Amino acid sequence: MIREIARQEWDYQRDRPFGRLVQLFVARIFRGGGDTDAEGLDLGVGLVLTLLALPGGFVSIFLFDKYGSLLQWLRGQTNVDTLLMAFSDEYFFIVLSMTVTGAIAVWRWDAIFPDRRDHMNLAHLPVATRTIFFANLLAVVFLVGLVAFDGNAASCVLFPMVVSASQGSLLFFIKFGLVHAVGVLLSSVFSFLAVFAILGLLMAILPPRFLRRVSAYARGLIVVYLVTLLCTSFVIPELLRRVKGPAPSWTLLFPSCWFVSLCQLLRQRANPAMAELAKLCVPGITLLALFAFCVYAIGYRRHFVQISEIAEGTSVQHVPLPWHWSALERLILRTPFQSGCFRFVGKTLLRSEAHRLVLTGVAGLALVLASQALMRAFEGIKSPQQAAMTSEALSIPFVVSFLLIIGLRVVFEIPSDLRANWIFQLMLDPDQECEPLARKVIFVSILPWLLVITFAAYLYLKGPVVAVLHTLVVAAWSCLLTNVVLVRFRKLPFTCSLPVFKQHSIVILISLCFGFLIYAGSTAEFESSALSQPIRMLFLLPVAGVAWYIPHYLGKNTIDLERRLIFEETTTRTVELLRLSE
Amino acid sequence: MLEAVQLTKRYSSLPAVQDLSFRLQPGQVLGCLGPNGSGKSTTVKMLTGLLEPSRGVVRFNGRAIQEDLASYRMHLGYVPEEAHLYPYLTGWEYLEMVGTLRGMGRNRMYLKIDSLLQLFSLHVARHASIGTYSKGMRQRILLIAALMHDPDIFIFDEPLSGLDVTSALIFKNLVQVLGRSGKFVFYCSHVLEVVEKVCTDVLILRKGVVIAHDSVTNMGKILGESLENTFLHLVDDVDTMNVARDIVEVMKAA
Repeated sequence: MIREIARQEWDYQRDRPFGRLVQLFVARIFRGGGDTDAEGLDLGVGLVLTLLALPGGFVSIFLFDKYGSLLQWLRGQTNVDTLLMAFSDEYFFIVLSMTVTGAIAVWRWDAIFPDRRDHMNLAHLPVATRTIFFANLLAVVFLVGLVAFDGNAASCVLFPMVVSASQGSLLFFIKFGLVHAVGVLLSSVFSFLAVFAILGLLMAILPPRFLRRVSAYARGLIVVYLVTLLCTSFVIPELLRRVKGPAPSWTLLFPSCWFVSLCQLLRQRANPAMAELAKLCVPGITLLALFAFCVYAIGYRRHFVQISEIAEGTSVQHVPLPWHWSALERLILRTPFQSGCFRFVGKTLLRSEAHRLVLTGVAGLALVLASQALMRAFEGIKSPQQAAMTSEALSIPFVVSFLLIIGLRVVFEIPSDLRANWIFQLMLDPDQECEPLARKVIFVSILPWLLVITFAAYLYLKGPVVAVLHTLVVAAWSCLLTNVVLVRFRKLPFTCSLPVFKQHSIVILISLCFGFLIYAGSTAEFESSALSQPIRMLFLLPVAGVAWYIPHYLGKNTIDLERRLIFEETTTRTVELLRLSE
Repeated sequence: MLEAVQLTKRYSSLPAVQDLSFRLQPGQVLGCLGPNGSGKSTTVKMLTGLLEPSRGVVRFNGRAIQEDLASYRMHLGYVPEEAHLYPYLTGWEYLEMVGTLRGMGRNRMYLKIDSLLQLFSLHVARHASIGTYSKGMRQRILLIAALMHDPDIFIFDEPLSGLDVTSALIFKNLVQVLGRSGKFVFYCSHVLEVVEKVCTDVLILRKGVVIAHDSVTNMGKILGESLENTFLHLVDDVDTMNVARDIVEVMKAA
């Protein structure tokens, strides 16, 4: 009976204008907004929700090894304090939850607010603007709830299960699980609200013509912050546990500390600093929600209600190419294909939001890892000259080049408005080789500044010999890695559909992890010992030779059909119909 | 001469176009008419080489275009039905990219882009991103991209959609001038009046099959009617006036 009434009420609300609007905005937030249906990263709702749930689930499963009582016993770990052990993992789940939710908010940045398209479709209908305002607000609240729930559901069940595996008590599992759920859900909501508030603030204070440009930088900075936050999980739990006295001021910069402290407080394991930080959670979220609501209302009034009075879009400042750049272009870009497509690739990287965001995320990761390496290089060493010769300091350019080269290679695969690629399909010769073009894009965008900085830093710190040798190794390794990642690359970047998942994709992923360790770690360690006696550097030549020969051999043995330019990724069919009757 | 010989295209054994044949001589403007789903777009895609026919061949100057698509496309100017362009490029940058890919010399290309942008009234908006352009502006960019390298063959697929009155008038005259200057023009449209006015010949498709192919004048002479009536006579057995009355009745129904 109650169910029937509830269903009738739901159907009634759903068919009312407000209900329809909420449905519309929820669908728009998931399927993408913006005035142009441009970007190629339009994943389905189901896939987004699955991807969101995956990290928490996987991390929890990997932790079985740490908390299993038998494995602990085999390792000789007895009388383990499970809650103490779980502290750093809980912090990791909190930052993971914040990062994932924040990333979703950044990804859907353009779709959170009603835009010109919504205005064109809705403004002429007999619907009050405040109805549109509240419908969109409700859709955003629904999205926050869904993302927070979906992103943390797996960890809220699996992580307490893993931790309580050695306890054998259902009560422990329930108590631990509830506290963990409070921590991760609140942190998720906080992260979303923070991004929402920043977007609202920009809309409230900036004139429309600056908004798009500034918001692009703001999104980039948020991505870098989120990556940094994720990386703090290796350091902050230990620092926080050791704090004596009041909470240090740096903890204010990382709200993740507040939420992990709240969990500790609820479990009565908080030190004075944590107790202090835990008290910031509820007022922090309340104030942030209020602030977000206010700036959203102002932003809505400024941008949506008055959208018809705002000129559409902005002009890109046209700067003619300087003569030296034109000369360089003529030198390195030999064919009309390379010349035309090089600029297209460059402009897509600079202007397409989806591509820029992914690349910013990778650059942020590179920045964080490079900073960590630099910090480790100075541990126990006083002079910069000494620190420069440690493997950690030497690894910095390798870390940066590895991540940026791989990042660019990944970004090349993300399509940019596939419907617009007809112009390339129509004009490009299918026998065109894309590998040299992609290689030139990678070289031009990474190598010049990286090599100049590396050379200048080592010239100042260690003199010309070390500077030349180290720069040469970085350049050679970058070229070899670029060759490896571009083996059998036959697409014009951004113009082909997303690659299909292949069985060997996981092998590639694992190879990348090992490749990173060898490329950045082992090379730097070798250099650290060899640079003092430069003759030893010759040992790198055979390694470089092998690294050059393998991709060269693979490229040479590719049949002509597999070199042809493609615009669509297809899987090889197991069974092919011959259609003899046709 | 551009020649289509028994072109057939099937999608999963469903025929979209069947045994389509025609010849297009220099100076001829061939209009292609047909209701939705009649195979016009498939024909255009086969003529541009974007789609390979299941059977049959397209020949340009006696040579199958698939043998050397790249050189055939050097002679081709194509305006697609929908103006899908990269929204983050400016109009100028897009045309510059197209010109470069066509291998045009830089000075000649810049001169042409600049002049054509002026003539199509887009010069003021040349450095604004295409994402901010109206449908008509995007259509004009496509027209410039198709014209700037002085091709021999023009394939227009609904080129007038979104164009304002002045631009549409300019374009209609342009098609006639192109025809008179010896270019091959294949013109797909729903707008019968335009086809009647600008084309020398007309090809009518229905369910992927050619049901009429003759000069515009002959077609009218044979049936003694305007192109619109000829089209309706050949393609649809629908009493359009009755349908219009039914629509108003449904609209007014309580």
